[in-house]
Amino acid sequence: MKQFFLLLFSTMFVGSMQAQTKVNSYTFGALEARWLGPGTMSGRTTAIVGVVSDNKTLYIGTAGGGVWKSTNAGASFKPIFDKYCMSIGAIAVDQANPSTVFVGTGESNMRNTVSIGDGLYKSTDAGDNWVKVGLDSTEHIAKIIIDPKNANTIYVAAPGPLWSDSKHRGLYKSTDGGTTWNKILYINEKTGCADIAVDPNNPDIIYATTWEFRRKPYSFSSGGMGSGMWKSTDGGKNWRELKNGLPVKPFGRIALTLAPSAPQNMIAIVEAKETGLYISSDAGETWKSQSATMNVVSRPFYFSCLVIDPKDPKRVYRPGFGFSYSDDGGYSFTDASYDGGWVHSDHHALWINPNYTNQMYLATDGGIYYSLDRGATWMFVYNLPVGQFYHVACDNSTPYRMYGGLQDNGSWMAPSAAPGGVNNSSWQDMYGGDGFWVQPDPTDSNIAYAESQGGNMGRIDLRTFKSVDITPQAGKDEEKLRWNWNTPIVTGQANGRNLYTAAQYLFKSKNQGRIWQRISPDLTTNDKKKQQQEESGGLSEDNTSAENHCTIFTIAESPLDENLIWVGTDDGNLQVVTDGGKSWINVSKNYEAAGIPAQTWVSSIEPSRFDKNTVYVTFDNHMYGDMNTYVAKSTDLGKTWTRIKSDEFTGFAHKIKEDLVNKGLLFLGTERGMFASNDGGARWFRMKNHIPDYAMVRDIQIQPKTNDLVIATHGRGIMVVNDITPIRMLTKDVVDQDVVLFDSKPMEITTGKYGGGGSPVSGGWYGGNPDNIAPIEYYLKERATKDVKLEIYDAEGKLVQSVPGTKRKGVNKVYWNLRWTPPKTATGSTKMDYGGFIAPMVLPGNYTLKLKVGDKEYSKLLSLVHDNSNKLFTVEDRKEQYDVAMRLYHMHEELYALVNKINAEQKTIKDNMDSLTRPQNKKLLKEYNTKLEELRSTLLATKHKSIFADEKKLREYITEVYGSVCGQECKPSNLQTERVAVLMEDLKKGQQTYEKLYAEYNTKTAAAIKDDKAKSKSPTPRSGN
Amino acid sequence: MKKIFLSICTAALTITGSLTLKAQTVDEIIQKHYDAVGGVDNWKKINSVKLTATSNSGGVEVPITLAMLQGKGFKVEFTFNGMTGYTFMTDKAGWNYSPFAGQTKPEAIPEEAIKEAQDAMDIQGPLFDYKTKGHKVTYLGKDDVEGTECYKLKVVFPSGKEETIFIDTKTYYHIKSITKSKANGKEMEASSAFGNFQKLPEGIVYPMTMENGGNPLTIKTVEINKGIDENYFKLPESKEPEIKK
Repeated sequence: MKQFFLLLFSTMFVGSMQAQTKVNSYTFGALEARWLGPGTMSGRTTAIVGVVSDNKTLYIGTAGGGVWKSTNAGASFKPIFDKYCMSIGAIAVDQANPSTVFVGTGESNMRNTVSIGDGLYKSTDAGDNWVKVGLDSTEHIAKIIIDPKNANTIYVAAPGPLWSDSKHRGLYKSTDGGTTWNKILYINEKTGCADIAVDPNNPDIIYATTWEFRRKPYSFSSGGMGSGMWKSTDGGKNWRELKNGLPVKPFGRIALTLAPSAPQNMIAIVEAKETGLYISSDAGETWKSQSATMNVVSRPFYFSCLVIDPKDPKRVYRPGFGFSYSDDGGYSFTDASYDGGWVHSDHHALWINPNYTNQMYLATDGGIYYSLDRGATWMFVYNLPVGQFYHVACDNSTPYRMYGGLQDNGSWMAPSAAPGGVNNSSWQDMYGGDGFWVQPDPTDSNIAYAESQGGNMGRIDLRTFKSVDITPQAGKDEEKLRWNWNTPIVTGQANGRNLYTAAQYLFKSKNQGRIWQRISPDLTTNDKKKQQQEESGGLSEDNTSAENHCTIFTIAESPLDENLIWVGTDDGNLQVVTDGGKSWINVSKNYEAAGIPAQTWVSSIEPSRFDKNTVYVTFDNHMYGDMNTYVAKSTDLGKTWTRIKSDEFTGFAHKIKEDLVNKGLLFLGTERGMFASNDGGARWFRMKNHIPDYAMVRDIQIQPKTNDLVIATHGRGIMVVNDITPIRMLTKDVVDQDVVLFDSKPMEITTGKYGGGGSPVSGGWYGGNPDNIAPIEYYLKERATKDVKLEIYDAEGKLVQSVPGTKRKGVNKVYWNLRWTPPKTATGSTKMDYGGFIAPMVLPGNYTLKLKVGDKEYSKLLSLVHDNSNKLFTVEDRKEQYDVAMRLYHMHEELYALVNKINAEQKTIKDNMDSLTRPQNKKLLKEYNTKLEELRSTLLATKHKSIFADEKKLREYITEVYGSVCGQECKPSNLQTERVAVLMEDLKKGQQTYEKLYAEYNTKTAAAIKDDKAKSKSPTPRSGN
Repeated sequence: MKKIFLSICTAALTITGSLTLKAQTVDEIIQKHYDAVGGVDNWKKINSVKLTATSNSGGVEVPITLAMLQGKGFKVEFTFNGMTGYTFMTDKAGWNYSPFAGQTKPEAIPEEAIKEAQDAMDIQGPLFDYKTKGHKVTYLGKDDVEGTECYKLKVVFPSGKEETIFIDTKTYYHIKSITKSKANGKEMEASSAFGNFQKLPEGIVYPMTMENGGNPLTIKTVEINKGIDENYFKLPESKEPEIKK
């Protein structure tokens, strides 16, 4: 057998020995990110589809968190699209065969921060597996309709690229289940298809709306002569524009729907010079303008959802800025109540269960709501952690707190760990508006700074959450301050007292924003052509600061020198100053020389903490239709630049982060993924350790005390990779070894830092805690095909515990609970005794770790130290606790041995009783058995079986004290210690009683059995004592 | 606890027993897989398997016995503190018994769960002779299992239950399964991983460790075709509860 394994091992590893081992996505797979939410504030959701045949399966599409599925009507969700694009535009289920699901990537709510899709995906197994079926370059998909009578026919409405002209837009049709596609309605390179409706009774009748739109970094335009409403009666071969009764063109975006139960009844919201609601009762041939509430017609480019009840053609729903519904076919509307709690504004999708039309689900900018009363009142779904963070920051408290701002959902903070684990209740809402930057004051743990869209910023007292407006104001002869949508407010890395913010100028405060000093001239290009935001929006005026331009976007003080400050703008300027703000140098021409386009948005700047002259910068050019990943490094203060490139990179870049310890370790966050390099940026790998492959990573921080990697995603909340030390340790010479047992830092002996009531969290999102006890980590170059285990020995070489190991390729983590192996506890009871699962914590000292991989062994010393952070538990207390615990441990083992003896005697009696023929022998055995049972029943529970029947005997009493003493970090109380002596007495008594009984009966009963057997000549085996 | 054991049991006993790099089709992959784990002929001979194993929890080794009789029954017994609990199923009924918390009689397993479990009472595994069994197997391309490249095969059983099987592209060993069941109105997913493969005297290669997210199961002995018959899957008379008519 051994030879076989040696042979197998040698043949398996020959190949890999020859090639250099590469660190890749899976090397750190065991360092799984925790998803901390929040769920109490979710994020923008864009699509909802339920499965009609089961009333409980739901698919939710999100703006930046992929697709989530529930199979229990929303009680729980799981992500099912984490290997693919996170931006979801539309979902469709073939209701006749609900295993077939289509997902169109690329949200179509065309706001400034909307992400980009990469095509249409299909699953034939209800979302377990996906295949991309085309439309790769459409970037945005608004709707998918499967022909209700022929599932091989599918229509996809693709508005197409937002930031550039493109032929990849229009209405697409497949007649072979999605294998091939034809564009059946196309206007021009600026106009895509925004909506579609298919007559369920006659699926050859199709309605579609086209939409001309475009964003630039500094403006938005919805509307043009390309926009229109169209009808085909031959499945899309021929189209006719519908105009009768509609306003004068140009149009903007048109939302259109029909009544499924009476499809000639249609309703549309037409964005025009005067946006209005239009109703048709003749299948779109003629339209009638209808008065409409503000909610019905507001922001048509963003609120494009209009739904008619599946059964009732008069019941019309308008999810928009708020939620409105009509009972008269759209003539009049009323708004939903807030009796079930506030319903987040900004609605994008509504799904009504056709079997029970009171039940409906609503997708908003703040998450998902459901209603059971036809939309009158709504309840929030608290278990979708799809919040869209822009930035994250950590403070230095224990546990450290995380701070960040959410798109449309304010600024939030939460501890990274909490009693019972981080859950929805751990999150605190701390500032309003759209949230972006939140910065804890490094010099004052009661203060944080936050801001909302367009440069409104406050200093927040974290004791009361009251805030003071600290927004700098324009001075005499200064231009109007231009604040970015996502205005930076940052604290100094070299000097934590420095607080910076910026419009077109850089401001600095040394006293928490009470006094500001302007320390720069206008650092932007100040291009007036890019400052016409008041004209932005197109047909509908829309100027929410989202298009503000020629602003500063990034500020970074060097960790090595507070006078060395970098500033990046949204219009391509990269400026540096080395004297605290006097002499600014624009180095933008220098980075252009390295191949990075001019005008590019400077998305992040990372001055090195190892060398003042070194800086890393990310650039984002997607607003000019360029989705490339631009990252560059300068080692001469920006004079010359080197592009950092990798074939692994996808998506425009948001953030680069240099490790705090290992200067070769870099992390990069882009719109489509999280990447790392452990060789200074030469080679990169995508991080997949419980991080979605294409996560939208906006910000990355490293907490210096815990070495946690804290990631702000724009659609999956905050993710934390606990303690990245193994990533730092995996240097080139390490990765080429077959097995490496990592050095462990001195480990504190603890039961964990947090307690808690122990009740499971009922509902909501649960992010858990870091490991209670630090793991022991090792590296395997290849997946182990043999057994792996970790043995722990004390200083005397005694085996403390053996722990099964994992076998994954890369870093593995095993957990030793820092305890001895539990004792054997007495058996033969009517109940289980949990004392057999409890062991005393070991004492501080040196231990030897032996990692056994197959027949090879790897050793390391592990130093265990007392947890000095617990002031209520001294080393002396620990020793006393250990002493008491070990005494109880040994008592359990002694009791186990005693009860075993009794059990053996009773077994002998039982085995022989029935075959005895002589009454006096039977009587003797019965008498011995009765006395043994009397004794046994004092030693452990023998009568009551129910867990609710509290029968306590010696075994249970020992466990009662033993469990308490072992489970806590405290010196045993006087009565606990005294109790040990009492129980020891009882144990001794029991032992003595047994010895007496044994002496009195064993020989006699053995003789009786022998005597009886001799007479009946049928030998019976006897168990030993 | 009960569910974990049940799912380990099902997974443990249905480990399928594979080899050139150009393997593309379902049948090629399956053939190479069986070649790698001892050959179709050796697997065909197996009618019953009995495993003794331990599960380690905080240093406590819990002994576990698992047994399966092809198409007739499977049983898992676990012993702690002198008490033994079990879960077993036959082709007609099934029982759970967990005395640890004071349960006094076995509890019947719902009929729907028993129906779904029938597919798992297959020692050779779902890939073996899958067409005859009515299983639909689809090759879903290569996928990664913790850094190890695998062929991904999806099996849909006649009951509707699904199992996704991951076969290491280098060794052709079956290293992971994800099963999805829908019995009793609940959709449940369980993942099992297999390792420490050893060749048995019977010529087959068997995984001696199995994990399903909880504590791993370390297999100590494997008995093939020894003393397991239908009587092994009967309730002790003393435990016979009232049976639904």
